[in-house]
Amino acid sequence: MSSITVADAGSAEDTGRSETPGFRLPLGLILPPVLFTVALIAIWAALSAAGIIPRYILPSPEAIFNEFIKNYSVLTKHALYTISEALAGFVIGNCAAVLMAIVFSYSGLLKDAFYPFALISRAIPIIAFTPLLVIVLGRGLPPVIAVVSISVYFPAFLNMIRGLASADVDYHEMMHTLSASRWQRLRIVDWPASIPYLFAALKVSASAAFIGAIVAEWIGANKGLGYLVVISGQYFKLPTLWAAIIVAAGLTLILLAIVVLVERMLHRWTATATDL
Amino acid sequence: MVAISSEGGMSIRDVGMVYRRGEQVTTALVGCNLEIPAGNWASLIGASGCGKSTLLRILADIVKPTSGTALIGGVSPAEARAARTYALVSQQSTMLPWRKILANVELGLEVAGVDKADRRRRAEEAIELVGLKGFEQAFPSELSGGMRQRAAIARALTLKPRFLLMDEPFGALDEITREKLNFELLRILKETSATLLLVTHSISEAIILSDTVAVMSPRPGRISHRVEIGFGHDRTADMRDDPQFAAYEAELRHALHGPAPTARPAVHTASTYATA
Repeated sequence: MSSITVADAGSAEDTGRSETPGFRLPLGLILPPVLFTVALIAIWAALSAAGIIPRYILPSPEAIFNEFIKNYSVLTKHALYTISEALAGFVIGNCAAVLMAIVFSYSGLLKDAFYPFALISRAIPIIAFTPLLVIVLGRGLPPVIAVVSISVYFPAFLNMIRGLASADVDYHEMMHTLSASRWQRLRIVDWPASIPYLFAALKVSASAAFIGAIVAEWIGANKGLGYLVVISGQYFKLPTLWAAIIVAAGLTLILLAIVVLVERMLHRWTATATDL
Repeated sequence: MVAISSEGGMSIRDVGMVYRRGEQVTTALVGCNLEIPAGNWASLIGASGCGKSTLLRILADIVKPTSGTALIGGVSPAEARAARTYALVSQQSTMLPWRKILANVELGLEVAGVDKADRRRRAEEAIELVGLKGFEQAFPSELSGGMRQRAAIARALTLKPRFLLMDEPFGALDEITREKLNFELLRILKETSATLLLVTHSISEAIILSDTVAVMSPRPGRISHRVEIGFGHDRTADMRDDPQFAAYEAELRHALHGPAPTARPAVHTASTYATA
């Protein structure tokens, strides 16, 4: 292995530019999971046809596929509802977290007062507050968006508090000797240094957003994929239930993919975190 | 106070530095005196831990001395920092990894509020002066350690500082790169009229780049010798072959390693006998 590169050794004066990693995905990386998925579906279909998997637990792949075609409009209607809740909560919760973390990074007292509370909040099941939120906000969108906002808020807040304090002290000494203002230090040093921490939180909360929305819908709404799951379960409409679960999983993956894509687009302009 | 004589230079007067941690008192610096007239090049040389960097950091207003006065251009370090009359180059390159070289070199001007076109022009001039033309759009990680230090020097020069404070600027580089950069810096210094204070642990670097070399002894840190280097500012790389160069080298080596200084305890523990 040629692990020693002259350019990075910091010794040679003349150096070549290091190559930036491309976005190509080699076929060898895509093929195995695709083949595995196809095999899994084939085994599932065979077991289902042989009657080994009971239909009241897991219908055949064909039945679920037909459900997508037959109930396309129902699924879309409920999915759109869940998407709007999850995205609204995702944006509101994360924006609030970033703004509060920035405010707290200015004030040590505020941070010290609130930080333990934020840490403890990890142990509180936010979902359990849904009935309370329904009483306060009524049924429908508002309590669900509130649950999603709160559940994505804390990971982003905690990570931003860490991220905004993560920049090397040498950079701060440099900014100090340049007579930089607090705002300039935030904008030029602390903010770019915090971005990897923010994305680490966004990747966690991309899935938390849909889980939060769906679970909150069980209690607090009469529309959405969570509601569809509950209703189809009660009426033993298993294909509908599974179709709703697959749609929810797909939506989570799409949001996660968007977060990862944005992170990759920005990675040159932010710090690279090694410990995340 | 005595009338200040060196209006335009740097002076360190009876500076002491004592750290207290509980009962433990560590004397880092005692009675340090150094006058650097305007336009002079001075070096502080000594072993690791002798307090040479602390003296420089006092002048850069990063730390405050516990006794004595430091003046830079006739004013306190804090006032000099506010007026941006000095620039600091530290051992570790403080190139922000998410900014290209040009944006990094522009940083000081950006913080000082210089408009975009003007700072672009001045940064490009400085980049050309340090021999980094063509690397404006490279990221710091794409450059060698020596090139990053050139960029750090370029950033310092954009501010047209009256005082250059350099804290082992080539300390992290290999001997070959270091000597090359010593003469590069010499060429750059001749083009500016800045007063220089260089902290180094290299004897040859101190001779190449100084009119005055102050030798520091550790425990507690103090200035033990002064050697005047009589090469003037018209010196060239040929100076290394001058027999006088070897003579200065020997003189400094003796000053650094010569008869062991009488041991003075750096750490006094008040409770040593009480608890024995």
